[in-house]
Amino acid sequence: MSAPVLTEQTVPPTEPQVGATRAAWRDWLRQPSALLSVAVLAVMVLLALFAPLIADEPGGTSADVLQPPSGAHWFGTDDLGQDIFAQVVWGTRTSLVIGVAASLIALVLGTAIGLVSAYVRGVDAVGTVITDVMLALPTLPLMIMLAAVVSPSVVTLTVIIGVFAWPEVARLIRSQGLVVTAMPYIDGARVLGASGWRIVSREILPAVVPLMVVSVLLTASRAVISEAGLSFLGLGDPDSWSWGRILLNAQRSGVVAIAWWQTLFPSLAILFLVLSATVAGMRFNDSRDPRRNGG
Amino acid sequence: MARFVLSRAVKAVLTVWIAITATFFLLRLLPGDPTTLMVEGDMTPEMQAALLKTYGLDRPLWEQYVSYLRELTQGNFGISFRQIQPVTDILVDRLPWTLLLAGTAFLVTIAIGIPIGVYAAVHRGRWPDKILQAAGIGGHALFVPSVAMLLLVYLGARLGWFPIGGAIDPDTRGLAAYASLAHHLVLPVASLVLVQLGPYALTLRTNMIEVLGEDYIRAARARGLSTRRRVWKHGLRNAILPALTLMGLQLGTLVGGAVLTETVFAYPGVGRLIFEAVGQRDYPVLQGAFIMLAVTVVVANTLTDLLYAVLNPRIRL
Repeated sequence: MSAPVLTEQTVPPTEPQVGATRAAWRDWLRQPSALLSVAVLAVMVLLALFAPLIADEPGGTSADVLQPPSGAHWFGTDDLGQDIFAQVVWGTRTSLVIGVAASLIALVLGTAIGLVSAYVRGVDAVGTVITDVMLALPTLPLMIMLAAVVSPSVVTLTVIIGVFAWPEVARLIRSQGLVVTAMPYIDGARVLGASGWRIVSREILPAVVPLMVVSVLLTASRAVISEAGLSFLGLGDPDSWSWGRILLNAQRSGVVAIAWWQTLFPSLAILFLVLSATVAGMRFNDSRDPRRNGG
Repeated sequence: MARFVLSRAVKAVLTVWIAITATFFLLRLLPGDPTTLMVEGDMTPEMQAALLKTYGLDRPLWEQYVSYLRELTQGNFGISFRQIQPVTDILVDRLPWTLLLAGTAFLVTIAIGIPIGVYAAVHRGRWPDKILQAAGIGGHALFVPSVAMLLLVYLGARLGWFPIGGAIDPDTRGLAAYASLAHHLVLPVASLVLVQLGPYALTLRTNMIEVLGEDYIRAARARGLSTRRRVWKHGLRNAILPALTLMGLQLGTLVGGAVLTETVFAYPGVGRLIFEAVGQRDYPVLQGAFIMLAVTVVVANTLTDLLYAVLNPRIRL
């Protein structure tokens, strides 16, 4: 499900310059698969932003129970007669908000821990042990337990998912940080008398920014899967629609075998969102490092 | 080798201890302290105090922690809130099913993934390789319940080839019982394998391509060894090592996937137990289930590491 898309790379970054980064951005969007995935992501963002204009917030019951997809109900209806299309559109909001916010939490924690680990030896010993322990544990059961204790809401789910997603980021940033730390210009900065904080924040951080962009996309896609998993187990925000919750409703009402539309459309939504975030991240990684392009 | 085994064992114990400690304190310090939920609202203060005292919940956190650890080492996971039954008894009933499910999925993924990965590496750039690359990326985007429900609806409900829930037909005996067991296992295992296979085979392919470019493979070719021997004996042995480590790291994800699969197929393992316990907010069961799964993953991971050492003589030096 989430074998690392990126292996830890010992490839030094080409040049930590603005020009190189800009070229990487341009090359990135020139690839058809990258452009397509960014377009899918953009459509999802628009759906999330304008959900109230696109469909009424699903709620209540109606007589149109378990209708297959039609002109009136594009994605059919569930056992309460609610419109699945509206549920999927409103679910996009929850998935995107939690995905983006959780991955930002993971990014901040992971980058801080990864960079400091790469530069300060003492921290590295402790940081590596904690990262290894977290990576070795089954995260989903752990998140389930915590989500069951605090009452699940968009905020608590975001925090729980974000807090357990940082080790992957830390590992990636640390391995890149170690390579950068060993480069001559860091020694140069140290000779000039730059403080440790300045070296980490001004010299090493910019060199790992492209990796952070990749990281945020991949972590967000994992966070979306985690959120769907938790909602599917009944630990979603009861006040917000979520793709996992639509699947849970199908499972609970026992209509999985009859109402294929109730499971197919939210599943496709998850697939498209996660796939496009993953592809966008991988293609960005390729354009950041041309040596991997042949792959 | 003895030192290697010892260091892995120490690491495993340390990981489990950190997991237990962290969850113990998290559960008690988070808002919505589960222990207070046992005390019903309409009880008199005296009754509440008596109940808290019975369960030792009035003592300082530190003392509770020490006694919790002591009980755990004796295999006591506490009492389920809802089923008035020791959590250990419940877990012992459920764990074998999860081990069977996840273990089978693990082995099947490796058994299918290796030939696919090797084939794609040898025929690099041809269409089977391209399909594998797409599947390797697509695998990350598959949501386990989606795949499980798809299999359940089409191969289970519509075509009726496989049972749509449960783990065994209780009326079967002897050989028929084993057949029923295997029959019930097909769809849940297939859901997990479908999600894992692409990324796994793709990793193996990448490793294999790297290994096939090594000097010793060229030397083997110069010595006149057949392609089959070069690839399957000399190449695979080295390509499989990083893939093994990856599979070990994936165990946590595999167990998470098992929780979701068991929920879809009403498979009576720890995962389904977690789903039921969530609905009842049965915290001792949730905590026990997590610790049990954590121990399972850490033990399996340690065994993978030891297997790595057996396959890779360099590490034993």
